[in-house]
Amino acid sequence: MAAGGTGGRTYSFKVVLLGEGCVGKTSLVLRYCENKFNDKHITTLQASFLTKKLNITGKRVNLAIWDTAGQERFHALGPIYYRDSNGAVLVYDITDEDSFQKVKNWVKELRKMLGNEICLCIVGNKIDLDKDRHVSVEEAESYAESVGAKHYHTSAKLNKGIEELFLDLCKRMMETAQAEERLKGNGASQSASSRRGVQIVDDEPQATPAGGCCSSG
Amino acid sequence: MCLQSGLKEEEGRGEGGREEEEDPGLTMATADSGPKPLQNAMKMAKVAIQLDGGNKHKEAYCEYLRTINFISHALLEEVVSQKEREIVAVEVERMLRLAEQCLERAKSFIGKSADPPDLSASVSASSSCSPGQSEPHQTPALPVATAASTVPPSDIPVDAGRKATSPTKTGHRRVMSEGGGELSPFLPPEIFQRIQTVESQDTSKKELTPIEEASRLNQKLKANYEARLARLTPGQAYQKTSLTLSLQRQMMENLIIAKARQDALQRKMEERRLRLQEEANRRFAASGAMTAEEQEQRILYTNVLEYEQDHDWPKLWKANMRKNLDDMTLVSGLVSYLLSRSDHPVVKLLRKHQYRIYNRLYPIVSKGLPQSPALSLRPSRSTHNLLHAEIQRKPTRTVGSSVGGQSFSADSSPSLSHDLHANYDDEDGDEPHTQVTVDRENSFEDLEQFLTQLDWAPPHGSADDTGSDLDTTCDPLMQPEQEEGNIQELEIRALTEHLKAVVKDIHIAIDQLLSLCLLSFECLNTANSKDLCLASIEEAFFTPLWSALVALFRKVHREREQAFETSMKLYGDISPGDVGVSLKLFPQDPGALQGSYPYESAVQELRLLIIDRCPQRKLECIVRTLRLICACAEDYRCLHEVDSTPKTAAIGADDLLPILSFVALRSQCPQLVSECAALEEFIHEGYLIGEEGYCLTSMQSALAYVESLHTGGAHLPADKLT
Repeated sequence: MAAGGTGGRTYSFKVVLLGEGCVGKTSLVLRYCENKFNDKHITTLQASFLTKKLNITGKRVNLAIWDTAGQERFHALGPIYYRDSNGAVLVYDITDEDSFQKVKNWVKELRKMLGNEICLCIVGNKIDLDKDRHVSVEEAESYAESVGAKHYHTSAKLNKGIEELFLDLCKRMMETAQAEERLKGNGASQSASSRRGVQIVDDEPQATPAGGCCSSG
Repeated sequence: MCLQSGLKEEEGRGEGGREEEEDPGLTMATADSGPKPLQNAMKMAKVAIQLDGGNKHKEAYCEYLRTINFISHALLEEVVSQKEREIVAVEVERMLRLAEQCLERAKSFIGKSADPPDLSASVSASSSCSPGQSEPHQTPALPVATAASTVPPSDIPVDAGRKATSPTKTGHRRVMSEGGGELSPFLPPEIFQRIQTVESQDTSKKELTPIEEASRLNQKLKANYEARLARLTPGQAYQKTSLTLSLQRQMMENLIIAKARQDALQRKMEERRLRLQEEANRRFAASGAMTAEEQEQRILYTNVLEYEQDHDWPKLWKANMRKNLDDMTLVSGLVSYLLSRSDHPVVKLLRKHQYRIYNRLYPIVSKGLPQSPALSLRPSRSTHNLLHAEIQRKPTRTVGSSVGGQSFSADSSPSLSHDLHANYDDEDGDEPHTQVTVDRENSFEDLEQFLTQLDWAPPHGSADDTGSDLDTTCDPLMQPEQEEGNIQELEIRALTEHLKAVVKDIHIAIDQLLSLCLLSFECLNTANSKDLCLASIEEAFFTPLWSALVALFRKVHREREQAFETSMKLYGDISPGDVGVSLKLFPQDPGALQGSYPYESAVQELRLLIIDRCPQRKLECIVRTLRLICACAEDYRCLHEVDSTPKTAAIGADDLLPILSFVALRSQCPQLVSECAALEEFIHEGYLIGEEGYCLTSMQSALAYVESLHTGGAHLPADKLT
């Protein structure tokens, strides 16, 4: 099954989904899980909270995607959602200048609260409506670069760019986690004190082949 | 208070004179005529107790049941006949309490027939030490002991916890009604500990030491000797001397032999302990210098090894586990078996930690707990309507703080409001008086008392920090006018520090328990088994402690709870649309719900949260609540879109959070604020980024939003306030 080597481990990442009310965060997530699972009975919460098991270059990754409420009145409660996140997906609507402004605010806040540890993705959604575009590609991409984020274009409606977005994000989070690991000196055991953050769990011995390999969230 | 002493008291109060009554069984038929039902019931209970004391279990059992039957019959008759209130309310309460106690006793007999050897021994042992049944102090332990031993092992903590509160509760009520004294619903730590140990006594049947054995033997010899002596005729003096001498010789010999055996045994035990200690040392051989922690662990491990020499079951389980790797039912079986062995070092350690934590909680929580609405336990529509009426009557009031207790108690007629609003009055009206705004000297005394109570906690962990923090902040040169406000602030700060220290201790305790568990059973050291093990430990650990623990959280989060309550009173009857729920996601026509309100099932589920005593279960309750919300939302959406086929109806956070806020508001349960704060501290690492973590976070956001509602932080349409 899983390639051995150095990688007998499973990464667990938390990704928080931010963006104004009508930018299509929920459709984005629904698309993403639809593609992987055709099983409709995973969990009724799946549009708000989604877990996914991925296998990336032989390493296993558990991804937990947390949706947040976009309304202004819940804004103050953001911090308890995004604390301990490894990545953030900031979604705006390319036809809505305002929503891009909101993304900028989020970026500022996240950088202030979480520093450079968190991998940021800025996502222009609804590219199927390109004729009504109000946020230029150049502006968005240069902004993303200036804040150390990556920029993506997606369409939930046409199912474009979503898979790539999350795959890319996972790879970046793995790099960050590995760099951190190296910094810590590798040998240091997972102390109980670091309760939160990246969890790198040693695999349990692969004793029973009975379970099969169909893993779903 | 126990049944026995309670009865005495009640009897004393009853009309004297009518001591001799006919057979109590017969009085049942004539319940409504003649003597008062309460007296009759008490007489019957007394008979039952006498039978119980005389070890006539079956008869006692029947008599208890008869008493219960009589009480329910009398009360029922009273209600149905609607006569002029013959039984006063106090009496009704007393009778119900009596029935409850009889029921408890009756329940304790059930195990006896099922599991005779241990139980009858322990029961008779404990009841024989008070043959006259006259000392009131003896009896309280009895119901607890028997009740605890009749339940299946894994449930013991739950049961003990519940039982534990019931005796004091009744006592508490009585004191309140008589003197109005302040008594907390929490057991003093000594009793807490006694309950912990009582439940352990059933399993540890100690073997006799050689010396004890010898002295028993000697007693028998002596009895024989005395019997023989009595049979001798007065003339046989010579034989008497010889008998006496031989008795003395035999007794001496027995003792000497026993002494030698005892010494040998002791040597052997010491040798064994040394050997085991070495084994433990080898196991931890890594570093030369040991921290105190490591040393403690080594000792604990030695205890485990010692236990395993004396008991076979660990070996059997281990062998079984080796044969069936990764069998999760086996793992959970092992863990619950382990936790039921009260003499195993793991369980001993568990009890030690529990006691220690309880000791740190008790001095603080036992003192004047702000009683917040217990509404959530029995969702009462009448309260609801009253609240609603209140709001309608005062349309101009918009800000919370002044709407509190005073206006309620002043406006509504006392008889009506007393029961329902007493709780609010406590929180809003009385609370500040009793706690803070007494004159300055008193409040200083309060603080002093509070400080000494903090000191009283056993010096352990970071208790010292708390102390020093208090010292520095409690500046005697403080300006007088600042003092009052500061004292409250100080108290909150001290409480917060204390809470932090307790939380830390709990984490340490659980870590230690888990590692000892894994040391004892290496086979549990796989990811899945470890999780399961941890979950079981946590359940056993928290169950008896939770109510005291959450009481401390409630003290710390009092302001937040008050804010929640104010919002709740102002907006308790608001429609989902007013908190921003999308119109598609609830039925506009109230008739469609047949008398209930939208998302009622989720509200009901959420209210159950405070009943559970274990963090994991509470988290599960929150997850269920959110899932119910999603299910309801799906249903409601289908109501709107009759034509279209139900597509993916999953709702995102944009929809979820407003609904959750509505549900939280409707739950009418400010305690949720503290419960969730506590859950955040104790949520299991693995669940933090999982569904449980997400649901808890959402719940907390919703609660915070509800708290902010009444301050105008949220923008509700103004017309909804009238």
